[in-house]
Amino acid sequence: MSQTPAITQEDFVKFREFFYRKTGIHFDDSKRYFVDKRLVERIEMTAAGNFRNYFVNLRFQTSGDELQSLVNAMTVNETYFFREEYQLKCLVTHMLEEVTRRKTDSEPIRIWSMPSSSGEEPYSIAMYLLEYWKGIEEWDVELFASDIDTNILERAKRGLYSPRSVHNLPLALLEKYFTRQKNGDYQLIDDIRQSVEFSRVNLMSASDVKAYKGFDIIFCRNLLIYFDDLSRRQAADTFFDALNPGGMICLGHSESMSRISSLFNVRKFPEAIVYQKPLEAR
Amino acid sequence: MPLIRNTLLEHQGDDQPAGFQALFDALHNPEAAARRLAARGLVDAPGGSTALVERLEEESESSVREALITSLAAIADVTAVTALIDCLRSEDAALRNDAIEALKTAGSQHPALIQDALQDYDADVRILAVGILESLKHPDVELWLIDLLEHDSHLNVCACAVDLLCELGTERAVPALELCLERFPNEDYLRFVVDLAIKRLRGESSL
Repeated sequence: MSQTPAITQEDFVKFREFFYRKTGIHFDDSKRYFVDKRLVERIEMTAAGNFRNYFVNLRFQTSGDELQSLVNAMTVNETYFFREEYQLKCLVTHMLEEVTRRKTDSEPIRIWSMPSSSGEEPYSIAMYLLEYWKGIEEWDVELFASDIDTNILERAKRGLYSPRSVHNLPLALLEKYFTRQKNGDYQLIDDIRQSVEFSRVNLMSASDVKAYKGFDIIFCRNLLIYFDDLSRRQAADTFFDALNPGGMICLGHSESMSRISSLFNVRKFPEAIVYQKPLEAR
Repeated sequence: MPLIRNTLLEHQGDDQPAGFQALFDALHNPEAAARRLAARGLVDAPGGSTALVERLEEESESSVREALITSLAAIADVTAVTALIDCLRSEDAALRNDAIEALKTAGSQHPALIQDALQDYDADVRILAVGILESLKHPDVELWLIDLLEHDSHLNVCACAVDLLCELGTERAVPALELCLERFPNEDYLRFVVDLAIKRLRGESSL
């Protein structure tokens, strides 16, 4: 009978530092069980036998495939449609009004959802724009969605959801935008699926994020809570460069850009607090 | 449908990342956005910290300075941490604050440099260095604070040290606290905070 590979405290610390350098995600000691469980799974799946062999392969593998598999295993992807809906309301009632006031007709509005997880957030934005924003008749909108987890991106593109994922949707929208499957799941219609461009992005990689520019709105909700202070500052710098002057970023309800960076202005709208790149920023 | 799927970004992403030399050059680009991008990209470049420090000495745009400081904190070598400590002398409050935040993470890589900052000739630097200690998680922090109480000539430095000892000290700091009161006998505020600290360290107060 094969033995379960043991992860020592030293292994855990070594792995934690490596994973942090690669992704910006920091696991404190309270996450030990979560990390160990997934490490053991990967050690067994790769037949590495023990942590040492696995870690050597992880660090020196040229393709980076195992690192990506590990990232997929270590990231949390819990979300649902219309989560923190007050920000979506804010988007269509106030934020887009400001954005369109500054734009010329020829420029599309560009929105980035990061991390997209299994697609609930970017698809919610698409539905919200179509249902509740009058400006959609006049303006073109480009929706981009990114995540570090390649498996979850494939799920997002498929657009197949459990009843739990859609529980917060009004019935009329559920019927309009989804087809109920025999097993009780819901398939998102192609028009919405095809309106979002998904891509794999590691926010900590300068080369990954280099092309992400010219955004008017960024949704980055409940990601920075997994980062340490330094990674949060690096992420803030990345978002600053990704936004147009006057562009805005929505964070999760427990997150605050003011505690991370002084680059953004706080904007208090009736529905939500968002963070704005100053109009005069260069 | 006016929702447009654009793959433009993907094609842009296929571009090769800029080489390090291009990034070193871009540190002096007239466009702030290009300098920020260079600052972020040089984290992994050999000799990156020296170039970032040199740029920081000249840079006036706050967003670029923040990117430079964040990258120096990420590199956290001796050159970077020394430069961050030098920022504590700046007249610019925003720069000082950014440097403090950066040193809270980067300082743990070089505790000896932070310890040196506690002996700096400038009392303001010593005060700011005390503020960094809380995040340093170094086993000797209490000893360094005790040393300040015993030897530092500036009242405000000692008061900051007392405040922090109140948070993370143990009973072994009590003699130094008492000595500090003797060194500054007529300072009511110091007496108040020292009394509070001693009570707390002896477990006599739940405050």
